[in-house]
Amino acid sequence: MDSSTVEQNRDAATAATSPDAGLNVKPSGRRAASMGEDSLTLKGEVQTVGTVTVENPLFHCKGVNVYYGEKHAIKHVSIDIGRGQVLAMIGPSGCGKSTFLRCLNRMNDTIPGARVDGAIILDGQDIHDRKQDVVQLRARVGMVFQKPNPFPKSIYENVAYGPRIHGLAADRVELDEIVHTSLRRAGLWEEVKDRLNHPGTSLSGGQQQRLCIARTIAVNPEVILMDEPCSALDPIATAKIEDLIDELRETYAIVIVTHSMQQAARVSQRTAYFHLGDLIEVGETDRIFTNPRHKLTEDYITGRFG
Amino acid sequence: MSSPTPVARITPKETQARVAKSLRRRYWAERRFRFYGLAAVLLGIVFVVFLFGTIFFKGASSFRQSYIKVEVFYDPAIIAPNGGMPSAQDIANADYQAIIRTGLRKLFPQVEGRKDIRDLTRLVSGGAAFDLRDRVLHTAGLVGQTETQWLLASDDVDMLMKGHIERGTEAEPGPLNQNQVAWFDQLVKNDGLELRFNKTFFSHGDSREPEQAGVWGAVMGSLFTLALTLLLSFPIGVAAAIYLEEFAHKNRWTDLIEVNINNLAAVPSIVFGLLGLAVFIGFFGMPRSAPLVGALVLTLLTLPTIIIASRAALKGVPPSIREAALGMGASKIQMVTHHVLPLAMPGMLTGTIIGMARALGETAPLLMIGMVAFIVDVPKSVTDPATVLPVQVFLWSDSPERAFVERTSGAIIVLLGFLVVMNATAVVLRNKFERRW
Repeated sequence: MDSSTVEQNRDAATAATSPDAGLNVKPSGRRAASMGEDSLTLKGEVQTVGTVTVENPLFHCKGVNVYYGEKHAIKHVSIDIGRGQVLAMIGPSGCGKSTFLRCLNRMNDTIPGARVDGAIILDGQDIHDRKQDVVQLRARVGMVFQKPNPFPKSIYENVAYGPRIHGLAADRVELDEIVHTSLRRAGLWEEVKDRLNHPGTSLSGGQQQRLCIARTIAVNPEVILMDEPCSALDPIATAKIEDLIDELRETYAIVIVTHSMQQAARVSQRTAYFHLGDLIEVGETDRIFTNPRHKLTEDYITGRFG
Repeated sequence: MSSPTPVARITPKETQARVAKSLRRRYWAERRFRFYGLAAVLLGIVFVVFLFGTIFFKGASSFRQSYIKVEVFYDPAIIAPNGGMPSAQDIANADYQAIIRTGLRKLFPQVEGRKDIRDLTRLVSGGAAFDLRDRVLHTAGLVGQTETQWLLASDDVDMLMKGHIERGTEAEPGPLNQNQVAWFDQLVKNDGLELRFNKTFFSHGDSREPEQAGVWGAVMGSLFTLALTLLLSFPIGVAAAIYLEEFAHKNRWTDLIEVNINNLAAVPSIVFGLLGLAVFIGFFGMPRSAPLVGALVLTLLTLPTIIIASRAALKGVPPSIREAALGMGASKIQMVTHHVLPLAMPGMLTGTIIGMARALGETAPLLMIGMVAFIVDVPKSVTDPATVLPVQVFLWSDSPERAFVERTSGAIIVLLGFLVVMNATAVVLRNKFERRW
């Protein structure tokens, strides 16, 4: 399947999903209107609206494509991920935002038939380079999943697992300290300090998710990827996680996929809007939610579809 | 019309009436199904009770055996015919049959004549002489002493004692002639004949004489064979399952392997026996009748079961645990050994129990590799000739002596006991693994 067929299919699919008049208009005119703003997108593809680059990026992704067998799930996505900030990725179901997130620590490697191409450069090193070890990459780019998935072990063991396999602690005292600090930073210490040897699965959903965050930060990553971390949680637990994300932002770059636009607005500094595998618009969160430039973005955030 | 159009053409009241009418039919269908299920379960229970009942009823008597009380005088003149202190050589070679004969004649002084004395001696098993020899060999200072010994009775006496054979008449004598029956009655009257716990059955190997035959040789043979089978098939099966499930790329070759593993599970076991005969004995020159070869054949037989069950157990581990481990930066083998394997272990053990239970009951392939041979000695290692419990059952069920009938059932009881102990151990192990999570 060559790229022009893909493009046609995409257009057809877009038209089928949303018969809005402005939909099939190539946003090149709009891009011209957004004066001076840079774009990394390749020629002949859907042009991303807004600012995809940042100063001194941590992740620099250029022309990323993901295929699941024949299905072209991510199409020529280019975006930078900055340090010390939260990037929210929003979009309707099946738009590829989770797929893109999983590219960043090569979790797509585990899916049979998945193929990723394009450049994903972390601190000047392509993560698909032969010199880049995938274990090391995942220690550097931690991940929190949609459903809380603590290991069926004790709370202590859940947090100690990462440092243990990576050999981060020299002795038991150091390990205890890492567990303590991680749980404290995840805001879970006060709730679990008396029952560290209880199974992690005995906690409530929100606590489990914070345990997963504690487990992730215990290996001291640079980036934390979060794939709809609050979708299985109630509003109170969600608020706690959101506060936590805000705190963690000082130390880690965070990329969060969310279905809740309020959440994206609350926790992120930059927002990226995905639609059917295309990155439609990227920009400062405030700007995206107050003044979307692309018709699709506007339709989505005003709740017309999605 | 301003009111919304109803979906059905009937009124709500009519709807309720129809629902009520269909309810009876639906509940009746449910009751009928429950009845069928209950009937099936009851039928199964009846069969099991009948099977276990008959086996126990027939086999329980084999756990007791007739013994005859005899005053035994360890005559130095018989043990050391050349006079002087008897040497170990003398004790080993002495004529204990003569000692027993003397003891019996003391009980029945009226018996005269070579033929009658021979008939009298035949009340006692030929094995009794060996028991006495072992006793004198292992107990110092018995020579010259007199002691009361319970000697193993012959199988015919035992059968008459248990009421399994006819007493016979003068015209139509049974297995025992009329003199022997009279002596038997006298022994019973004087409390000189008793049913006691059948130690021989649980400590000896096979024998041509039923009263001297035991299951211990077969139990040890089964133990060696199964231990080795477990040792070989569990690690190989689990490793194969892990490789196929977690590491191998899914392609035409893995599909082919999967299909063939499923096929192997359905191959008649005797084919594995022939394979073992040709490969392990014919090509590699391993010893015949040995638990080693038996275990190799049974390993081939149980591997498909264990692999299939282990793969199912691995498939049952939620993918979220794998993602969590990989997301933490665990390598694939760390993911498997730290997280997936512990969760899959109970399922793998269940598959292993099923496989081992099948291996324990397997007879046909072992016939092919010579484990059906008549073996008296209790095996001491995996290369000693041996037989196993189901083959022992097969051998005894073929024997003409009446006393082997109850021993066949006795061996089945031991086999079932073996199975229960093995499964109970596995279930306890499995629960222990499950509790940890």
